[in-house]
Amino acid sequence: MQNNLLHFVKTNATLIALVVLTSALALADPTFSTARNLSNVARQVTIVGIVGVGMTMVILIAGIDLSVGSVVGVAAVVVTLLMQSGLAAWIAVPVTLVLVGGVIGLWNGFWIAHYRIPPFIITLGMLTIARGVALTLSGGSSVPVVDPSFAGLGGGYIAPLPTLVMLAISAVLYVTMLVRGLGDRATSGGRGHVDGLAAGVIVAALGFALAVYVFGRGDGLPVPVAIFVVIAGIAIFVLGHTRFGRRLYALGGNEEAARLSGINIYQTKMIVYVTVSLLAALSGILLASRLNGASPNLGTMFELDAIAAVVIGGTSLAGGSGTIGGTIIGALIIGVLNNGMSLLGVSSFYQLIIKGLIISLAVWFDVLQKRK
Amino acid sequence: MGHASEVVLRMEHIVKEFPGVRALDDVNFEARAGEVLALMGENGAGKSTLMKVLGGVWPYPTYQGDIFITGEIRRFYNTREAELSGVAIIYQELNLIPELSVAENIFLDRQPTNRLGAIDWRRLNADTQALLDELGIRDFTPTDQVRSITVGKQQMVEIAKALSKRARILVLDEPTSALTDREVADLFRIIRKLKQDGVCLCYISHKMEEIKAIADRVVVLRDGRTIGEVTPIADISLERIIARMVGRDIRDMFPAGTRQRGDKILEVRNLWVDHPDRPGEKSVSNASFCAYRGEILGICGLMGAGRTELVSAIFGASPGAVHGDVLIEGSKVDIRSPTDAIEHGIALLTEDRKALGLFPGQSIAFNTTIASLQTISAGLLGIVDAGRECMLVENYVAQLGVKAPGIDTSVETLSGGNQQKVILGKWLNASPTIFILDEPTRGIDIGAKVEIYKLLDRLAGEGVAIIMVSSELPEVLGMSDRILVMREGAIVAEVSREEATREAIMEYATGARRTGE
Repeated sequence: MQNNLLHFVKTNATLIALVVLTSALALADPTFSTARNLSNVARQVTIVGIVGVGMTMVILIAGIDLSVGSVVGVAAVVVTLLMQSGLAAWIAVPVTLVLVGGVIGLWNGFWIAHYRIPPFIITLGMLTIARGVALTLSGGSSVPVVDPSFAGLGGGYIAPLPTLVMLAISAVLYVTMLVRGLGDRATSGGRGHVDGLAAGVIVAALGFALAVYVFGRGDGLPVPVAIFVVIAGIAIFVLGHTRFGRRLYALGGNEEAARLSGINIYQTKMIVYVTVSLLAALSGILLASRLNGASPNLGTMFELDAIAAVVIGGTSLAGGSGTIGGTIIGALIIGVLNNGMSLLGVSSFYQLIIKGLIISLAVWFDVLQKRK
Repeated sequence: MGHASEVVLRMEHIVKEFPGVRALDDVNFEARAGEVLALMGENGAGKSTLMKVLGGVWPYPTYQGDIFITGEIRRFYNTREAELSGVAIIYQELNLIPELSVAENIFLDRQPTNRLGAIDWRRLNADTQALLDELGIRDFTPTDQVRSITVGKQQMVEIAKALSKRARILVLDEPTSALTDREVADLFRIIRKLKQDGVCLCYISHKMEEIKAIADRVVVLRDGRTIGEVTPIADISLERIIARMVGRDIRDMFPAGTRQRGDKILEVRNLWVDHPDRPGEKSVSNASFCAYRGEILGICGLMGAGRTELVSAIFGASPGAVHGDVLIEGSKVDIRSPTDAIEHGIALLTEDRKALGLFPGQSIAFNTTIASLQTISAGLLGIVDAGRECMLVENYVAQLGVKAPGIDTSVETLSGGNQQKVILGKWLNASPTIFILDEPTRGIDIGAKVEIYKLLDRLAGEGVAIIMVSSELPEVLGMSDRILVMREGAIVAEVSREEATREAIMEYATGARRTGE
């Protein structure tokens, strides 16, 4: 029993760190635990979180994408400019996704997959190119949003009642998945990880309770949070339960062996780099919507936050191992930390130092774990 | 030779446990100055773990038992302490820095310096030259870059490095696995010289002939235990050694019985492969052959004869451009990638297991299904059916006799033989009709070899065309229905099972005999 507990603590260290951090902040400042503040934290986390989902996939295949922050900026500028030129929001958004996310992703992917140029270099190049494009297009100044319906995307809410209904549906889905998973193991005669399962159920139950507390009243569920949850859900499913997910782990674990096992390396890399750019562009659009305008400097240094979230979440920079769940926890830790330190009045200078220390600590812990 | 009988190394009751496995379970042996002690055992028997305990890689107190060096208990907390006590270990994978010179590698981090603290190159090279002279090495100079010399010579650099640290106990872990015959002869000459100088050598190998040639005494490990006493090599037969290693006698390594040749399934016509690095040169020249269902076709030849290049080209994995025709069941196919090859029912088990076959951090299940994910998933989205995967993999694990706690076990923790079985499972799951195996039994133990032979025989019986590339002549002779001999990129002879002899094949492979003579 003690061993099981120890095992649980070790395998879920980041989650425990998040819980401890949240509890400490709740004790230190009562405003932290108000539904309004937590809802705010959730909304802030989504931007880094959405990019982090894509970044997890890139890092899983032993790659990196440094251009995501600049893509956020370009997407924000392009979507607002398109609306200024007369396009309706519902057209401007998909056009931006394709034009910015799609094109930049294809560009990055092409050089990386076709010419085997190190992703670090090619996306570093794109980091400056895209930022330059954002500054050029906007003439260096902010672009206001002209279509009022656009604001709903990043700033809107889903009312409490439908939110509760959706939460109930996802709880039911979760339970069915658990039961099916148990069934799979039972038919094959394998022994399920009952302890891990029990812990998972408790965590999920707490999560749902918290979600009901934060989003089930007041304004309800922020739209970007809903979008993030859907994206993360899809990504978790794809990585864990599809052929494509398997290919990513294979590619990151041993690229040559993956090629010789018949995996289409070119196609897989292309899809991953396009996906991460699309997600970055989406983040940019959400950000422009929430801020009701786009500054060409939006998203500066986002790549570092996204990479930090992925790494804190336990994904190996060497590729081949990692999870979306970890990245979400990583993004939450960064978000909660930012919010908490601001509430406690920690100077933003110190905030940078503390954030850096926490990233180093997380990586150190990860290395320590793997050495075992 | 006054010190020849002195016991310099004694390991007593060594026990080393990993989670779930007892890798060493009461190992006892002693080795003397001026002798070559052969340490034998199947893969997974614990040889490498034992040497890692001795070398301080697994430091005290992560193991139990005592290590005595010249009669005194030594407890190594790290590799450096082991080195200081005169223990040097040369691992299978050499630990040299290819970009540096021979001298820099030998005196890495111990380079002689001048008064300013800069490296004294003249002394460094002179010291190295003295060391090489002492060993009688004339094939390379201290200033040669390590990457520019052959693996065999790199091995000598490792030995020189060990001696420069005044090693009294030198462990060689499968030193000849990548060496040519001439290099092996050179290595043995140096080993004999070290023996005379009173160095205690522990020699780990699978190769019986080498053991007979070089070792004075032999100790056998099986399942982490020493089996029997340390025995003088003159007093024990090879059969006894094998029996100790596997715990049973192996009389018939190769499956008996005849095979029925079926339809022609693969035909290769005038295949040329460009050398990937040297423009104008060919690594395969004008190769033509056929393979039939139900038949095992052996391909042999010396190192660099183009065997691996030939089969990689057929599999669509060649680094150099390929010209020529490949026909499957009579129709021409265009195979440009392994993906195409697998679609056409071809599988290739690669020579280099670690680099080209395994996904190290992943489970047995992941490794088994990765080349044929369509067998466990359905639909456009390719959703994986975990229950089906579990059943499939459990079946292969049982069928192939993979020894592991479960299908979720990481393949990294398995022995070489079990890893190879997992890779075999991966290709079996792709249900190939043409199964190419490049050195399928390299570096795996005899027990696992026999199991693989049986499996290949069974597959041939089921109508699969087996193409087996191998450097081990007994294996080629024992398994193949037909043998292709390659030399310098060309197929120089096709020999039937009946006419195949060791001598004939070697003569073709070396060019001493040509077809038609």
